[in-house]
Amino acid sequence: MTGRELKRKLIRHPGLVRLAVVAALFLLWEVSARWWIDPTFLSPPSKVIAGLGELFETRGIPAALRITFWELTVAFAISVVLGLAIGLAVGLSRFSNLSMMPIILLLYGIPQSTILPLFILYFGIGPASKIAFGVSHGVFPIVVTIVAGVQNIKPILMTAAHSMGASRWQIFRWVIFPHMIPTFFAGMRLGMSGVLLGVLLAELYVSSAGIGYFTQLFTQAFDPTKLLGLISVLAAMAIVLNEIVRRAEVHFGRWRTD
Amino acid sequence: MSAKQDRRDKIASRLVQIGFLVAVMGLWYFGTAYWGINRILLPNPVNVWHELKDVLSTGEFLPDLKVTLMEIAFAFAISCSTGVTLGYLISRSHFLIKVFEPLLAGFYSVPLILFLPLYVLFFGLGPGSKIALGATISFFPIVLNTIAGFGYVEKIFITAARSMGASDVQMFRHVLLPAAFPVILTGLRMGFTVALLSILGSETLASLAGLGHKIVHLAEAMETPRMFAYIAFAVAIAIFLNTTVSALERRAKRR
Amino acid sequence: MTTGDAAIRVRDVSHQFGEPGDAHFVQALQHTSLDIKRGELLCLIGPSGCGKSTLLNMIGGLLVPTTGTVEVHGKPVRGPLPRDIAFVFQENSLFPWCTIIDNVKLGMVFQGVAKSEQEPRARSALEAVGLKDFMSHYPAQLSGGMRQRAALARALSLETGTLLMDEPFGALDEQTRMILGEDLSVLLSRSEKTIVFVTHSLGEAVFLADRVAVFSARPGRIKEIIDVDEPHPRSPSFVTTEKFSRLRNTLYSLLHDEIRKAVEQSATVAPPS
Repeated sequence: MTGRELKRKLIRHPGLVRLAVVAALFLLWEVSARWWIDPTFLSPPSKVIAGLGELFETRGIPAALRITFWELTVAFAISVVLGLAIGLAVGLSRFSNLSMMPIILLLYGIPQSTILPLFILYFGIGPASKIAFGVSHGVFPIVVTIVAGVQNIKPILMTAAHSMGASRWQIFRWVIFPHMIPTFFAGMRLGMSGVLLGVLLAELYVSSAGIGYFTQLFTQAFDPTKLLGLISVLAAMAIVLNEIVRRAEVHFGRWRTD
Repeated sequence: MSAKQDRRDKIASRLVQIGFLVAVMGLWYFGTAYWGINRILLPNPVNVWHELKDVLSTGEFLPDLKVTLMEIAFAFAISCSTGVTLGYLISRSHFLIKVFEPLLAGFYSVPLILFLPLYVLFFGLGPGSKIALGATISFFPIVLNTIAGFGYVEKIFITAARSMGASDVQMFRHVLLPAAFPVILTGLRMGFTVALLSILGSETLASLAGLGHKIVHLAEAMETPRMFAYIAFAVAIAIFLNTTVSALERRAKRR
Repeated sequence: MTTGDAAIRVRDVSHQFGEPGDAHFVQALQHTSLDIKRGELLCLIGPSGCGKSTLLNMIGGLLVPTTGTVEVHGKPVRGPLPRDIAFVFQENSLFPWCTIIDNVKLGMVFQGVAKSEQEPRARSALEAVGLKDFMSHYPAQLSGGMRQRAALARALSLETGTLLMDEPFGALDEQTRMILGEDLSVLLSRSEKTIVFVTHSLGEAVFLADRVAVFSARPGRIKEIIDVDEPHPRSPSFVTTEKFSRLRNTLYSLLHDEIRKAVEQSATVAPPS
């Protein structure tokens, strides 16, 4: 293949080039960790992957990861239910929208890490505080998205239904509710990001046996291999959860034109 | 909906908001003063107010505030310069955009707070790790918005300028930059907000100084009234900074 | 060069998008040749996707033809010729971040006009199109019709020999089009510019043009060229004359089948944007 043909082929497949870039970054990480950077601070990916087995055998790690995953799912479920309920209640009524939204937005704008110690104070150092903090992060984007979604239903659709004699309940069931589904899934995607942030923040803040304990342990012991291993596993968990919600959004949002 | 009904609704909703605030404050006060809620868990608002006045008048907050602001400033400066530069370079070719934009968006979707322990390993508990994490996290909205701003300038403007003989420099200065400006500005505002949040967050988790650290320190010392005072102070600072940045963004976009 | 010489020579030009065998391969224009006389207003009319805009972009140097050559004022066209050719586009091409007068001046900055000349030229062009009182407004504050007037002023201020207009009034309502068409006719009667004007509207073509080139459906070629023998400026009452109706009907009968064909084509393959 001539140089020119290769170039044209590459241009057709940005995905391949992207993979190459990712591979190059891993290579850079590998090379710099092996030869340029002090091993106290950075481990090459080969070592990290090789060390994953040992990581999982470390006492307490599998349990910590399981608990974290459980906290994430519970916090997400609560956020969704709560967010949906509040979002619909506020969004469907023009008056509650007008009165409650500014309060909700004000609360949404607070940097929640400042009240993290309070959550621990109130809910203890166990999973409850992590779940609560996760819900506190996840519920707001869901509420805001749903309220916006309800507001954005084109009035012409409501007018059309009304002109055909639909009752308020029918309008909700057959116009508003189906319209809301893609919006709902978009909100869930944002909610999942929020829940991830909240739960992980709380976990990293304090845990006697959770992942926060282990990140502290590995940091103080200057063990970048185990630390990077743990971070990678958590990152992978986050990516998988995000991806699930994103795919659900794409699947259920197929009829959208906007 | 008539204008009169609108005005009545607006007044009524304001009343509801005020009523809500009054109810919350009232519950808080009566709960701690008369109904026996544990003072350690929820301090009396009057005490909190006294502590707040004390903190503000003695200037006790200054060293921590300085640390936090300094960390935000450095983090934002780094993410701004690298984000805009890299964003512009990537935006120059549609192919580069197709390669890098999904990569960057993918990175950003991971909760980057996870990397804090790694940065603490590198930089220790001092401001360095906070600045590094803040710069890392705020880099992404800036670079992504810069790519979007420069990369998606409406084709008609580029075609028109080209047809009138614009040179590359003229194209950048008179077409690309003004077209991209509002989007980039939004990215900068988002980057600032995110830098602020991540620095307060990382100060809470692993720090020796700064507002986030101070709050944690007071929590551990069980000095709840003072802690509440600092929380209120930190929240006020955050709201002030975010509002200012948003206002600056709006002013810069105004024609 | 005297009036009547060919200002624009299009020789055996064709254009395709993509390679044969691609999913989105389109033969936009078949082998086409055309001579456009200096000082005349030629209309290109045809169904959607017939290649008239493609031809215009090739004349203006915004597109390189797959085969054939284009010459403007004796120069071969291989890229934009800002000193010889000015464009007016259908889409809003005024820069939203500049005022109207800054928009006009910016065109001259790109072309390379001396700074001292920019202000007077901009002012007179804007006055000529009737926007004297709106020079400090922003495009968003003006109606669609006024924006197109400003785009025209920008093109006129560049003082080129040729003006290429791609459905400039296409996005406007019928009434605005009528007024702008009349004003355009008056404006152009005073100048010696060679103008190529793409339109969908039969009435507009007959009203404005000296000659009308009728295109077939895709792959496009020039089916026929109609002469409109009527001096400029054309009065509004020209539209009511028998001559106008006759010419319009001729265009209609030439175009009707092509339009049907084009509609059927668009249901199966979408041409590239």
